[in-house]
Amino acid sequence: MQRKFFNGTDAVWLAFLAALALAPLVPAFAANSFRMHVMILILLFAGMSQAWNIIGGYCGQVSFGHSVFFGIGAYGAGMAVVTYGGTPWPGVIIGMVLAAAVAVVISYPCFKLSGHYFAIATFAIVEIFNRGFLVWDWVGGALGLDYPLIEEGLANLMWHDSKTEYYYAALAIFIVTFGIVRWLEGHRFGYYMRAVREGQETAESLGVNSTAVKLAAMSLSAALAALCGAFFVQYNLRVDPPMVMSLDMSMKFVLITILGGSGTLAGPLLGAAVLIPLQEYTRAFWGGLGGGVDLIIFGLLIIIMVVKQPAGMIGILRSAGKFFSGKKSAERGGEAHVSS
Amino acid sequence: MTRGFSSLSRWIVFFAVICLLIGFGPGSAPAAEKVIKIGTLFPLTGPVASAGQRCQAAVQTAVEIINNRHPGIKVPLAKQAGIMNGYKIVLVHADSQGKPDVGKAEAERLFNQEGVWAIIGSYNSSVSKPASLVAERMKRIFMCGASSSAALTKRNLNFFFRLAPTDETESIEFVDALQWMNKKKNARIKTIGVIYENTEFGKHAAEEAKKAAAHGGFRVVADVPFSPGATNLNSEVQTLKKSNPDAVFGAVLGADYSLWVRTMKQSNWLPKAALNYCSGYQDPVIMKQLGGDAEYFMGATAYSPQFAGLMPAVAQVEKIFKTKTGGVPFDGDSIQEAVAMLVLAQAIDKAGSLDPDKVAKTLHANTWESPLSLGGKVAFQKGGQNKLAKSILTQIQKNEYKRIYPEKMSDSTIVLPMRPWAKR
Repeated sequence: MQRKFFNGTDAVWLAFLAALALAPLVPAFAANSFRMHVMILILLFAGMSQAWNIIGGYCGQVSFGHSVFFGIGAYGAGMAVVTYGGTPWPGVIIGMVLAAAVAVVISYPCFKLSGHYFAIATFAIVEIFNRGFLVWDWVGGALGLDYPLIEEGLANLMWHDSKTEYYYAALAIFIVTFGIVRWLEGHRFGYYMRAVREGQETAESLGVNSTAVKLAAMSLSAALAALCGAFFVQYNLRVDPPMVMSLDMSMKFVLITILGGSGTLAGPLLGAAVLIPLQEYTRAFWGGLGGGVDLIIFGLLIIIMVVKQPAGMIGILRSAGKFFSGKKSAERGGEAHVSS
Repeated sequence: MTRGFSSLSRWIVFFAVICLLIGFGPGSAPAAEKVIKIGTLFPLTGPVASAGQRCQAAVQTAVEIINNRHPGIKVPLAKQAGIMNGYKIVLVHADSQGKPDVGKAEAERLFNQEGVWAIIGSYNSSVSKPASLVAERMKRIFMCGASSSAALTKRNLNFFFRLAPTDETESIEFVDALQWMNKKKNARIKTIGVIYENTEFGKHAAEEAKKAAAHGGFRVVADVPFSPGATNLNSEVQTLKKSNPDAVFGAVLGADYSLWVRTMKQSNWLPKAALNYCSGYQDPVIMKQLGGDAEYFMGATAYSPQFAGLMPAVAQVEKIFKTKTGGVPFDGDSIQEAVAMLVLAQAIDKAGSLDPDKVAKTLHANTWESPLSLGGKVAFQKGGQNKLAKSILTQIQKNEYKRIYPEKMSDSTIVLPMRPWAKR
């Protein structure tokens, strides 16, 4: 049975989005630029991870190559501004299209591999692109692209004095990615993706063209990752290969989604809402002590979380929900719950 | 109580503790009267963490001198306590992790949340670039001690000041030195190879090297980039060996430098001369680790303990520095960060104001006494480059950085060509 297009959960989501939209108007948020920075990163990384969730969570293809698409989007916007001296918008569109095309080209052969082998292949792709961009002078090579100080505003997607506009831009990206995934959840294509995840042979026996589904999911996922990459470069005003096309960045896509709850709509947001503040605040409080104290604390917290709740943050919410509704709590440990 | 509730309780306690730490944790210095907060932004973690930690210790050393009376130390501000009639400097430290995006975010946090008045940093050129743009947009001063990319001071920013010599000036110095070796030592050096980490710093250094080499009439026969943090440099060294340049210019930082030297030893190959930019070469800890293998390599050096005769004021300052580094002395990079702090404090004191615009104009308008600099003085040109920045070409001989060029500043005779591995 098809899921209703709008249900009670969606109403909660809409209320949540409305609260997010109003957040910068509350002085407690607006007065603190670091808090705004953390909020922007939460929305951005939630959007990025939701993009990954399409192929990794809903379609079951664990990709460690998403930083490539993220990087292509970043370079699209960066080159439009730095190399061609224009506005980033054409670069954003070109980056998204190019990322989708590259995703199809590199995924087609990789989808012949399955399970761990597919994941390993995507690892290699990140390294190939990273090295390629480092020596490719047209895209700035190892020097990267540094933004000049140009006029702020929506046309240049750049603001100097305030983070509020960046916040709303990140919120827009968040809404787009989450909206698309929500729509997919109730759409035929979403069922095809989940069918492929649960059993490719079974899905094919029922008439699902698994290769086409995976390619379509990958290209959509890549285009959305590129959109997030374009925002990332506009926010940091610099891009070089290690910043965007790295295994470190790829791991963030995967880690946030898995920590939050892979294959669920809320998972990427929950993961980002926990992981990003931990990362930023541990650095802010203890980074200056040196010796990586902040990174040690950050790592320990992640280990505790994963050990205590393998189902991710969504598992914690479910436990809490069951507790408050008076039902017996779910078992701990074991495989992560995946909603359909 | 159900098992789930027990787990949930622990989670709630856990997050409550985190929230409390976030709300009431350490961070900003206690508010006090007559305090100027200065941020430091260095790579305290990552591949060049040890260099970043020494840079941070150097700024701390300078602040200790500025804030307290040190009659025995012959540097400006040492004889008084504080500046501008009793203002003390308070440092707020941040870790850039050597990443541009982290550096930019931390620069914003330092200015907006910690309320620092200026920032000193960031060692990596790729971090200094975006972090200093944050300062420029906010019309705040960014003092850069050691980042060497010439591009940093070609942006013509108003609030950016860099103390160290650039890759451009060091490349010209290297080529001058090679011409001197050919003329005075009959070295017959005609070809050059360049090995560099594929980063903002390395790429810039290589470009400047090629430009200077062409200008000096040398032919570049090998252009060898590598990824920083490499676990293996065999193919890079083999490429150099195959091209067999007479001299090699290296822009190789930290642990990569040790790996490069040891890989050359394994490959049993050396050029006649190997000259290094500010890099792993001038790190005294790495020199010690390499032992005899470090011998006869050369590099541009702004300071080493063997420069004591040229810079007598350093010795007393270095005593304080060593208490913060476990006995490790200044190197050419860290001493520049101490100079950055001392010059900034002098400028604030002279301007008599905490208006960043006024202090920036004062920095530009004056020549500053700097006994910790090889040139003895600091003066900034448009764009913020210290036009009096100097370095000396040194060669490691018997575990010491011996001065070999310019000839008038030398204290030793150059060993040329480098002694082969088998004959050491």
